[in-house]
Formats: sequence, structure tokens, C-alpha cells
Amino acid sequence: MPERVLIVDDHAGFRRVARRLLQEIGRQVVGEAGTGAEALSEARRLKPDLVLLDIQLPDLDGLAVAASLSSQPEAPAVVLVSSRDATDYGPRLHDCGALGFIAKADLSAESLTAVLEA
Amino acid sequence: MTTLQRRVIQGTALVVVALAGFAEVLYVAIEPGRITWLLALPGGTGALVDHHVYFPLRSWTEVLVEIAPGAAFAFAGLIAWSVRPRNRVGLLMMGVGVGFLIGGAGPHSSSAFSETLSQIARPWGEIALLVFGAVSVAMLIHLLLAFPGGRLISASDRALVRSFYVAIPLATLLGGNGRYVPLEALGMSGALNPTLFGYANALPNVLYLACLVVGSALVIRRWILGGRAKRRSLSPVFWSLLPIVFAFLPWTLMSVAGLIWSKPKGLPVVLAPLSASVDLSPLLLVALPIGFLVGLLRAGLDMSSVGDLVVRLSSGLTPDQLRPALAHALQDPSLEVVYWLPTLGWFADFEGQRVELPGPDSDRAVSILGDPAAPVAALVYDSSLVHEGQLLDTAAAAVNMALANARLQVQLRAQLEEVRQSRVRLVEAADSERQRVERDLHDGAQQQLVTLLLSMQVAKSEALRHRDRGVANLIDANIASLKEALDELRELARGIHPTILTQAGLCPAIRSLAERCPIPVEVRDDLGDVRLAPPLEAALYFVGAEAITNAVKYSNGHRISVSIGRGSGFATIEVSDDGVGGADLSRGSGLRGLTDRVAAVGGRLIVDSDRPGGTTVHAEVPCV
Repeated sequence: MPERVLIVDDHAGFRRVARRLLQEIGRQVVGEAGTGAEALSEARRLKPDLVLLDIQLPDLDGLAVAASLSSQPEAPAVVLVSSRDATDYGPRLHDCGALGFIAKADLSAESLTAVLEA
Repeated sequence: MTTLQRRVIQGTALVVVALAGFAEVLYVAIEPGRITWLLALPGGTGALVDHHVYFPLRSWTEVLVEIAPGAAFAFAGLIAWSVRPRNRVGLLMMGVGVGFLIGGAGPHSSSAFSETLSQIARPWGEIALLVFGAVSVAMLIHLLLAFPGGRLISASDRALVRSFYVAIPLATLLGGNGRYVPLEALGMSGALNPTLFGYANALPNVLYLACLVVGSALVIRRWILGGRAKRRSLSPVFWSLLPIVFAFLPWTLMSVAGLIWSKPKGLPVVLAPLSASVDLSPLLLVALPIGFLVGLLRAGLDMSSVGDLVVRLSSGLTPDQLRPALAHALQDPSLEVVYWLPTLGWFADFEGQRVELPGPDSDRAVSILGDPAAPVAALVYDSSLVHEGQLLDTAAAAVNMALANARLQVQLRAQLEEVRQSRVRLVEAADSERQRVERDLHDGAQQQLVTLLLSMQVAKSEALRHRDRGVANLIDANIASLKEALDELRELARGIHPTILTQAGLCPAIRSLAERCPIPVEVRDDLGDVRLAPPLEAALYFVGAEAITNAVKYSNGHRISVSIGRGSGFATIEVSDDGVGGADLSRGSGLRGLTDRVAAVGGRLIVDSDRPGGTTVHAEVPCV
């Protein structure tokens, strides 16, 4: 079970709530990033076990960031989140190397555990 | 040019012709000894002795042969200039004629007139006359290239003629056995450096060969490429040029070949053919001015063709027959009629497509018809018709009324095209506006609500931790309504513009729609990952979405099938249900608006909805 988490989202409010939620289920949030580029550099620096990654980022496409993270050695597990639905993205969601997808509205200790243990 | 100036030039040409004839007569009729008084002018002393070394006495036949080409050019030029005063062809012909008479019609030939004149002030008089003769050869090339319009049309023609005007006189001076240019001083004497000396002497011949080849090639090219009108006037020149090419080409070729393959000694080989006693070849040149004159007169078209046009007009010409009729009357198949569209501010062809008028450097000429400030139309035609101003005006006056009618049609077509394009632009603008609104909803309200929802979940956990079940239940109820609001917002955003359509394309977008549909939807597609242009994808998607929504709402059916396909040059979407049918495009359904949307991208929408048997909505759009 991954312990060290990096949260990537350009929305500070969401990052704050997500941190709270993750801590509640016993995860350690080691860092936060607001852009795709920042996500890549923080992932290299902090070597998290899990990256909670928003798809809609201001600079890069979250799906491309996921693909890039997954191709690295000692790749962290990536869980994609979005305020849109999985059906809004189509087959591209499954081709980017991410472990799973959770709509932000459904983000909870249970849904996260379900994706991580699947 | 004023009439007075023209008369002065014509008079001068006549005087030169007369003087040349007079000099020739003197030359033959008066014994050499008695001509001395004529030449006993300052600078001319002792000239006669030299003169007979270089130039043997002439017979009457020789004199006539000598004077014929120059006189023919001068007289034909006079006639041409009188008939077509605005066309420079006549002036050029006179120039060539006078040049031949004064300077001689070739690199080493000379007339009695030129010899007599050159004796007066040697060597400068002689040099001046040689240059004069050489310039007239360049002028002949100028004439060939400018015929029949009288002006050099392309920049390359102008450059070529300019280079001949410079190169031929220079080369002529460089030749002539070093008489005019001190070749010896340059280390090029015949004895010291026979090869270089020979080259210098042969230079005029090489250039004459170049003139002959280039001039003939250009005339032949024009004859082949020219329209019927141009060919009509070029033909006489073409046929009179042919014997000259055949007579002079072998001679000039031999001269140049002689230079290359044998080492020149003493008198260069290139000069050898000139020593023949009576050379009748200049007579061939007489045919050329006659060819020019006939060609120029033939370019003058028959007014009776305009009469035919008037007869055809009175029997009723439809606007599309107007151009062929005018082209026939003016004997220029390449003639175009373009119409001025005052509402749009540009010219258009008969199809309503925008047309730019050719510039001044083009070989196409333009006549604006009607008031230049508010023209009706313009004729674009072969520039050889330029001097047929009267004919053009008459033909244009004849078709003026018909042109004004035709313009209305063209204007209508052009405006329809404008409307079609503006409709495309409107749809595109609406699409991008929809995308923007969807993005704003997502980035703004949706994000805020999602964060709020998650915060409430955290609050609920806190409440539970403090064993406050009442508050937890209250929060839970709020979470439920917030989720509903979020779902509604998401559906609203999707309806405005689905992200998946932009992200993944038509097929994934329709499949995503099918997954959320309460009735089973079977999707078949031949498109796969192929992406179409965004306006086409949007048009087909919205047809599919509207048809599925209608099937769910009104058909009472149990199954819907969607097929997306692509044929050669078009893409289609077809949505069928097994419901009650009876859908009607004209009864204000959402499909009505979609018919317009599909038509805006050049496609069509067909609804087949016989009762019973369900409804089939089929849309196709053109694509590459």
C-alpha cells in the first residue's frame, strides 16, 4: 500500500481538501504541485509512491504527465482525478499508464482504496 | 507624340532613303577619280585609295541588292506607322530600315552610302556608322519581340533586348581586324595571338547567330502558344522569317564552326564567305518588312464580326453565352468577361468567384466597360488586341445591356457564396463560443462545487469522530443535493459542448453518449481513430446526440442503433430506433436547426420516419 503521496492540481482549495482526506486514511502527503512541469520535477525530487494527478492542468495535459511519470524508472503509481467524468475522456484514459481514475466528486477514502487495491 | 513630331520623323526617314539612293547612284555612275571632290573634305583626304582596297566597285545589280532591305523596311515602316500611329511597330521598322541604309545590314556588309559617309571623317565617322548598323540589328530583334502589340511585355524580353543593344555594337567594334579597337595594344595581334584575334573577329558573328536563333525561337514559340488572333498576325512574319533562317543559319554556323575547328590565320576564316562576288542573300530580308506589314494589317479585325454579335444579341443571348460570343467576335478564344460587384467591391467571374485583374506587366490587356468610377464589367484579352480600340469599343457597346443583366446574376451568385461562407463562420464562431462556455463552467462553478463537496465529506468525518450523528446526517443530506447539482451541471456542460468530442473525436464521443443512454444503443463505426475537421465532427455529433435524445423521449422504442461511416469524399452518421416513428423535420424539432447546421458545412440531413417502423435520421457531410 503506497504511503507517500504527491498531490497535483492547480486548484489550491482542492489540494487542501485532498490532503486532509488522504491524511485521514493514513497517507503521508509529501508534496503538492500546481502545474504539469512542477509535478514532474517534484516527482523526481520526492520520489513519492503515489501521485494524485488532475487531468486539466494549466500547462501540460494531465494524461501526458501521467504517461511521462509512468515511463520513469521506479515509477510512482498514478491515480487520475478530474471534475469531469471518465466518459468525458474516452479511451485515452486507459492508454496513459495510470492505475485508475476517480471523478473528484467521488473522491473518498473508500474510492481511493478501491482503485489502489484493484 | 504629336502629329508634327510624327511628320518630322517620317520626313527624316524619307530623306535618308533618298540620300542613300542618291549615294548609290553617284557611286555607280561617277568614275572613282571624279568622286574625289566629294570626299575632299577635312579628314577625308586620301580616303578613296584605301576605299578601293577594301571595297571593289559595284554594279547596278549590287547596288539594288544593297539598298533593297533598308528601303523596304523604311517604306513598310512608314506605311505601318500611318495606318497604326499608336503602335510602335511602324516606328521600329523605320528605325531598322534607316539603320540598314546608313550602317549596312550585317556585321561586315556596308552600303555605298555608309562608305561614302565614313570616308568623310575617318575613323570616327566609320565607327559611328558601324555602331549605327549594329544598333539596327538589335532593333530588328526588338521589333520581332514587340510584334504585333508594339511593346515588350515581359521583363525578360526587355532585358534581352537591352543586352542586344549593348552587346552587338560592342562586338562589332571588337571585330573588324582590330581596325577600331587597338587589339595589338591588348596583346591580341593576329601574328602574336592568332586564336584570340580570331575570337575577337568572330564575336559579331556569334552574336548574329544568337540573334537569329533567339529571335526565330521566340517568334516560333509565340506562334505556337499564341491564340488565334495572335497567330493570324504572326503568321506572315513567321513565313517570311523562315527562308532567312534557312539561308543565314548555315552561313553563320559555318563561320562559328570555322572559328572553333580551324586556327584562324591572317584573314580569319569567318570573313571568307563575304568575299563572294555578288551576294543576293540581302534580298531575302526584303520579305521580312512585308511580312511585318501584312501581319500588322491582318491584326486589324473585321468589323463584320461585331455585326454578327449584334445579330446574335437581338435573337437573345443568355448571360452564359455572352463570353463565347464576344470571344468569337474579337477572335480571341482566351477573352474573359469579369463583372464589377459594387456591393462587394471586387471583380468576379461568371461563377461569382473573385478575380484579380492582370497587372501592366502581363501579356493580358484589360478594358473597363462603363463609367470607370462605377464600371459594369471588364474585358481581359490577349494584348495583341490592344490597338483594336474601336473594335473593342463597338463590341462592348453592343453587349453593354446584356452585360448589365449578366452582372445581376453574377452578383447574386457571389452574394450567395458570401452568405454560405458567413454561415460557416457563424457556426464555427458558435462552436468555439460553446467550447469556451463549457470550459468556464468546468474551471469555475464545477471546481468550486467539487471542492465544497469534498470539504463537506471531511466535515462529515469530523462530526462522526465527535460522535455527532445529527450533524453528520445533516451534512450527508447536503452532500446528496450537492452531488445532484453537480450532475446537472455536468450534463449541462456536456450538452453545450462535450469535451470528449474535442479530446478524442466523433466515435468516442458518440460511444460515451451511448453509455449514458437509458435505452440500449448499439454503435458501429468505420471511422476508428480518424479525425475529421472540427466543424464536421461537431455537425455529425450534434445530429447523433439530438437523434438519440429524440428517440429516448418520443419513440417508445427499445433499441437504438448508430452507425458512423465514411465513403469517398463524405462522412455519415445514421441513427435508427425501433419506435413508433412519425418524426417530422418541419415541425420545429431540434432537427430543424441541425438541418441548417449540416447545410452550413455543405452536407444534408434526411429523416425517414414512416409510421410504424421507427425513425432513421441520416446526415452526411463532405470531407477530404
